[in-house]
Amino acid sequence: MRRVAITGLGLVTPIGAGRATFWKNVTAGTNGIAPVQSFDTSEFPVHLGAEVRGFDPAPFIQSRPAESMGRGSQLAIAAARLAVQDSGVDLAAYNRRRVGVLMGTTSGEPGMVERYNDIRKAEGLDAVPGEMMPKYPCHVIPANVAIEFDLRGPCLMIPTACAAGNYAIGYAFDLIRSGRADLMLAGGADPFSRITYMGFARLGAIAPEKCQPFDRNRKGMVPGEGAAILVLEPLDDAQARGATIYAEVLGYGVSCDSHHMTAAHPQGDGAIRAMAMALDQSGRTIEDVGYVSAHGTGTPTNDRVEALALRTLFGDRAPRVPMSSIKSMIGHTMGAASAIEAVACSMALHTGVIPPTINFQEPDPDSDLDYVPNTAREAHPQVVLNNAYAFGGNNSSLCLARPV
Amino acid sequence: MSGTPKIFATGAGVISPIGAGVDEFAERLYAGCRGAGPSPLLGGDAVACEIRDFTPQQWLGNKGIRVLDRSARLLAVASQMTLSATGLVQPETGEGDPGLGLVCGTMFGSVHSITSFDWSGLTDGPRYVNPMEFPNTVINSPAGQAAIKFKLRGVNSTISAGLISGLYAVHYASEFLIFGRATALLAGGVEELCEESYLGLRKTEALSPRGEGEPFGKERDGVVAGEAAALLMLEAESRVRERGVRPIAQIAGFGTAQDAYKINGYRVRGTGAREAMEQALEAAGIGADAVGCVISGASGSRAGDEMEALSLEALFGARLEGIPVAAPKAAWGECLGASGALSVLAGVLSLERQAVPPTAGFRETPFPLRLSAAPQPFESDYALVTACSCDGGSAALVLKRVR
Repeated sequence: MRRVAITGLGLVTPIGAGRATFWKNVTAGTNGIAPVQSFDTSEFPVHLGAEVRGFDPAPFIQSRPAESMGRGSQLAIAAARLAVQDSGVDLAAYNRRRVGVLMGTTSGEPGMVERYNDIRKAEGLDAVPGEMMPKYPCHVIPANVAIEFDLRGPCLMIPTACAAGNYAIGYAFDLIRSGRADLMLAGGADPFSRITYMGFARLGAIAPEKCQPFDRNRKGMVPGEGAAILVLEPLDDAQARGATIYAEVLGYGVSCDSHHMTAAHPQGDGAIRAMAMALDQSGRTIEDVGYVSAHGTGTPTNDRVEALALRTLFGDRAPRVPMSSIKSMIGHTMGAASAIEAVACSMALHTGVIPPTINFQEPDPDSDLDYVPNTAREAHPQVVLNNAYAFGGNNSSLCLARPV
Repeated sequence: MSGTPKIFATGAGVISPIGAGVDEFAERLYAGCRGAGPSPLLGGDAVACEIRDFTPQQWLGNKGIRVLDRSARLLAVASQMTLSATGLVQPETGEGDPGLGLVCGTMFGSVHSITSFDWSGLTDGPRYVNPMEFPNTVINSPAGQAAIKFKLRGVNSTISAGLISGLYAVHYASEFLIFGRATALLAGGVEELCEESYLGLRKTEALSPRGEGEPFGKERDGVVAGEAAALLMLEAESRVRERGVRPIAQIAGFGTAQDAYKINGYRVRGTGAREAMEQALEAAGIGADAVGCVISGASGSRAGDEMEALSLEALFGARLEGIPVAAPKAAWGECLGASGALSVLAGVLSLERQAVPPTAGFRETPFPLRLSAAPQPFESDYALVTACSCDGGSAALVLKRVR
């Protein structure tokens, strides 16, 4: 089995695009949440969203007009281009059959469903164009990335909702370590969607004023959008070409609560099993873990269960393991979330700095752990866990390490 | 991969336009039945391979059915059948095996559920949408619902790669077993018929105007939309031995490649499909000369079928005319994300019976392919299953007979 390095980080987020801007802002505690602009929220009880404002896809997309695809694909291609640039790889030097793309998403291209209904309402069903076929199915996102960069190897979407980014990075890791690919672009993408917004609003899950994960007075999550792509390659190749190695992928774990479509298992059963599997697959123990990137949506239940899961698995060590949620700044970017968080984890390993949980004012006596409140911290973790949970009871944990 | 554990299919479940349950499915497939006909679900003059009079209660009882959309119901039925067939139904009491999971291929998920939820918000207002319907708007909802219903606590993944999704899911699940992240996995695919995906197929002129899919046929003019759910139970060799069960086939090798050409069009002279087939043979440790039959993903698409035929010619050369080929989408239509899983099941049946199923309604082909409207016998331990997608993705899987 080959060791697998992360050598390129590209992303588009509510607090900026590109590795350097994102990292500067996420460690400065920048808030990316504001009233929604992309649709009218006057009929909603809540108004906050984490949008990527002023995103212009045109400079990133060279193969075709940007309008020929949905926003999910546009965000993904932009992230991919930034990642490829960041990695310094020369794609022309590769056998294209051994270069692929793996993505995760919650909704894929929901804008196509929204347009379908808008046209149907305004002009009737006969006026709806046929784009449901070529532009909607979620696999068009990686397929569009493949066309843009002429990638001819494995091309796959793993739509496991809000845990999907981890699934995609994990499977890309499998493909490289087992020798079936030499370079993989892996990550997640989700555009801002009124469908998602409407659903979470109806569940009463959206925070009215701010996103404050793990705070005693937390009132909910904030839907967001974005994309992140990580460049994965064999560690040996990365070293040979003198690449910057941000992190090494050690392994991952996944599980299903098989309990409820939207609510976490009350004791965090699946979350615990996913973390344990990730550590076991990585040949590491809880003692090695120096940082946990929390799913940390900001809903009362999610955060309580997540803290309980950490406490159960890590025991007495739990309060000494920093665990932060960057969703406090960028909202919940759905299928992109764990990919963006994997970028943050890679940078935490690379720079030694852990991003904070902002808006943290009052500890929750039920879940009092170290959430890196409000200010980034120099902590030099050697091994980190990136946790992501999803509708359908899906749980995922990705284990990354500082390369040695 | 050599030195890695062998992965076996130990049972299957299927609900399709030509029949429900492996026995009925097999009987009708080999009898040359076709699922196409007027579609009550789509209404109007639509012709489709619909699962007519679908009554999930027959398999699932009444409990908990209401919240499941059509995709989730189809997948639940196939799950129930497969778990029963393999003796892996989890007990009512107790937590269930944490190593038992599900990998589901799909192309659209339930785009009907997603569209309906949005439509409700658009017409009634966002405060009046039904919160119970929101979970159905995630693409992995059918897999999540099945996990809750059947206590599937292991990996619960959904795989989307267009028309190769079902084939890819079988491979992805095999990998999870090889890497030791699961002990037994349901793997396959689901796709429902609905007006939204049907409209997409119709308006992009993918559908046969005659309502007759004629895979590889001389007169082919498009596909017939279909729906289905099909699953295999996959387990590693050690566990198969431990449980003392008899496998139905071995998953011997897989390959995949992208032509990275268009998002909705085949590169007819592309090399991706051939590359995927070669990779699958190499992974299985065999040469093209060991392949006894081909279960093709050809659907009636003019460009797609030609691309696949050219790829088979390139791979097998002059030997191609001696290899029985079946294109069973003639029977169940284009089931999109479920197609690959149905094809794998047809491959398993072919090896068991040492005969490929008919390509129902086959008349004439412009390609040097041995197709027939009747079953075609062969003698071999290996079947090659292929799938090509209109977004440039191709996949192939080698199945090995278990004696």
